[in-house]
Amino acid sequence: MIVFLNLICRIALWLLLAPLLPGIINKVKAWMAGRRGPPVFQLYYDLARLWRKSVVLSTLASPGFVVGPAVAWVALMGGALLLPLGPAGTVMGFRGDMLLLIYLLALARFCTAWAALETGSPFEGMGAAREVSYAILAEAAVISAVLSLCIQTGSTSLDTMLRPTNGTSAVLLAAGLFIVLLAENCRVPFDDPNTHLELTMIHEVMVLDHSGPPLAVILHGASIKLLLFSLLLAEAVLPVENLSPALAVVVLAAGVFVVTVGVGLVESLLARLAFRRVPLLLATAFLLCVFSMLIAWKGGTP
Amino acid sequence: MTPGTLLLLAAVSLVAGIACGPRFSRLWLALTLVGVSATLGAALLVLGGAANWEWRSQFNIAGEALHFRLDALSALFLVLLSVVGGTGAVYAREYWPDEDHPGTAPRGRVWWCGLLLSMGLLLVSSNGLHFLIAWELFTVCSYFLIALDRQKREARAGGWLFLVSSHAGTLCLFAFFGTLAARTGSWDLGPMREQAGLAPLFWLVLIGFGVKAGVFPLHIWLPSAHANAPSHVSAIMSGVALKMGIYGIVRFSGWLPVPAAAGWVVIGLGAISALFGIVFALAQNDLKRLLAYCSVENIGIILVGMGAALLGADHDNALWGRLALAGVLLHVWNHGAFKTLLFFGAGSVLHATDTREMSRLGGLWRRMSWTAGLFALGAIAVSGLPPLNGFVSEWLLYLGLFDAAASRNPSSWVVLPVAIMLAMAGAVALAAFSKACAVVFLGAPRTQAAEQAHECGMLMRGSMLVTAAICFFLGVAPVLFWPAISRAVAVWNPAWAAPKPPAPLINLGLAQMILVVVACASGAWLWRKARANGLQRRLTWDCGYAKPSARMQYTSGSFAGIVSGWFAWLLQPEQQMRRPRGPLPASASRVERIPETVLERVIAPVGNVIMRVSAIARRLQHGRLQAYILYVVVGLLGLGILVFLGGRL
Repeated sequence: MIVFLNLICRIALWLLLAPLLPGIINKVKAWMAGRRGPPVFQLYYDLARLWRKSVVLSTLASPGFVVGPAVAWVALMGGALLLPLGPAGTVMGFRGDMLLLIYLLALARFCTAWAALETGSPFEGMGAAREVSYAILAEAAVISAVLSLCIQTGSTSLDTMLRPTNGTSAVLLAAGLFIVLLAENCRVPFDDPNTHLELTMIHEVMVLDHSGPPLAVILHGASIKLLLFSLLLAEAVLPVENLSPALAVVVLAAGVFVVTVGVGLVESLLARLAFRRVPLLLATAFLLCVFSMLIAWKGGTP
Repeated sequence: MTPGTLLLLAAVSLVAGIACGPRFSRLWLALTLVGVSATLGAALLVLGGAANWEWRSQFNIAGEALHFRLDALSALFLVLLSVVGGTGAVYAREYWPDEDHPGTAPRGRVWWCGLLLSMGLLLVSSNGLHFLIAWELFTVCSYFLIALDRQKREARAGGWLFLVSSHAGTLCLFAFFGTLAARTGSWDLGPMREQAGLAPLFWLVLIGFGVKAGVFPLHIWLPSAHANAPSHVSAIMSGVALKMGIYGIVRFSGWLPVPAAAGWVVIGLGAISALFGIVFALAQNDLKRLLAYCSVENIGIILVGMGAALLGADHDNALWGRLALAGVLLHVWNHGAFKTLLFFGAGSVLHATDTREMSRLGGLWRRMSWTAGLFALGAIAVSGLPPLNGFVSEWLLYLGLFDAAASRNPSSWVVLPVAIMLAMAGAVALAAFSKACAVVFLGAPRTQAAEQAHECGMLMRGSMLVTAAICFFLGVAPVLFWPAISRAVAVWNPAWAAPKPPAPLINLGLAQMILVVVACASGAWLWRKARANGLQRRLTWDCGYAKPSARMQYTSGSFAGIVSGWFAWLLQPEQQMRRPRGPLPASASRVERIPETVLERVIAPVGNVIMRVSAIARRLQHGRLQAYILYVVVGLLGLGILVFLGGRL
């Protein structure tokens, strides 16, 4: 019963908090540009509006066009529920749940790409091809980051492996994971969520033909993914285990907030990279994580 | 019934199947099904905990007494053989019927039973000489099945390449079994770990069985054989025949001592096979070739686990070796199940459209919804995604690797690069299979053949459903299969016996089950919600372009373009481009071919050099008698001088 309540609270928390992050990013960008910008809760309004709208389907699309986003959302939510919430821990932690998290993200990617390719549009084919290709490098970076954490803590369970890392290793890990966060969530410099030129985009072009509730599910899923990566980054780097639970929650929330603002700042200050440079930046993220892993391997015994 | 009687029943019905295969196709199907069910029963009895079955007879074949043994490890492979053998026979009845192939279908039935029988024999024989005989029979049966459609040049060439490379491997096996018999004084096989002098023989095992398994640089025969064989044959070749190579490696690394470097070499070969195999798969434009290269990847994954198990056994029996080995053995089943499903699906597409070229297909889901759905299920499984079976075995394997990394044993550093390469291989597999699904089944039909495709019938659909169900159950209830796997692990290394499933595996099964339920429920809910809000069908957004056509869709080559650009040094793509010229260009084209790099860039040039040297040597043999007499005189003179010098030069 307690477990069930715990689960419901967590689902509600992720459901309600996730769409806040894109709002914060947009606000930061607006401030940097000297505009007032949309309200922080804009995505909530958009989602509510989309949820009530009717759906336009491509004549070529199968039911997978609608089911794909739903499965992707479930996969992302499942991954989010595996992540420990600071002092509250996880609902269902087990050895190797880290791998389940990574592969749930992959499942979400497969479903998004599938739904995009349903329409037979070359634009969406382009977006899906980019998404799955760049993910190869991102996956290598993520697995090196996970190996680094695993070596440091001697554990393969999320509950115990997201301990603070020390010194240089933590800095490298934070930098690497931040770049991966930008790539996986399709932010500048990899992608521009605001552009309307289909040829230059990755993620936005994949959802070009979606509308109504499926689009709402996709947008909400994307915000869950952003929160998931920010929280993962904060928990992997911030030393909160010796703090009191309340303070730990505050520190983690502050960490997520800083990451979000950082994304907004990057987006305001940098231009989008040329596509042939994207693999280079991802390879940099990979190398940062590999060096963090090597430092952990050479470092003191756990 | 005991395993022995069941196996006897299986052998008798398969022999009867061979006898009546040419004329009575229905009786043949019944006999084959009886045979595989009996085999399955025997294997399940042993895997379920019955004592190992062992039978020695005074009856001699080739001067050696018959000796059969069925333990959990053989039984594990026997289960795979019987499942794929049975579903393949059912599938073949519709896919390759007498009406369409009056010449080849009867032959195919005979060789099918022969193949099942020889592989079964191979798995239970416990005598080196009989093992070799069974191995040879297995190779010959496979050859005739691959080249079944011998009117086609590619099928003949693929079969020939298979036969030649298999025999190159068999040569190593002859050397291996011969040396083993000479050293131990008997052809009998069995555990002999204590004789440390036998360790170097492992290299012969690795090459000999590695050729059949399709490890990366030795995989040259695999793509063309799999692509050109009839699809049920491709399924059994990829699902089971490759595993015979794996069986050999697992079996003899368990029975014999291994050199210290074995684990390192195997894990390295595995990681290379996994990554390179799947990169080649992504670059292919032929659906069955893509699946064939994906088998190279999966064999690589299996070898990574095998290497980790060898390393674990080397390092004071570290328990992460057990996890890796369990992952490997489960992956043997999993790969058998999902690759069979995928080849059946590819066969159904080929049957309906007569082309394997992906860029000529498209939009098949509308007319072939069963095939599309089941192929998608197979694609999720083969990409190692939850909630299906591919993820479970990869997860066990990763857990073994991560535990090895966490143990920080000074020499387990090798798992770090290997784990990263495996993760990359997984991501490439996802790309390859989203491409395969999308280009074949989604979007608009690109050609008339794709437009007029038809769904396959009940028998083909039924065999696909059975293999899909296996993928599903292995995925959501891995705990049920753990005792069988752990018995096979205990055969390999008795110290690693663990009857109880590890606690995280139970949790994983639970998580997968929840995922299935929630994903199905939410998919259905969103579909209902979308319908309730009102659905309209409109054209795909085309940027206002006036005349969109189906040929403007992303093709297989364009989808793989980014990654094949990164790996151009490996793939060496050949391009022919005719650019549009002038203000009103008449035509333009771009053709890309991905060569078989190892075969065409390494083996073929070496072969050419050998042929050229031989051609020069052949000049000595010209048929002129006078010159031959001169050779004899010169030879005699030389010998005479040698004798004159007293044998000293």
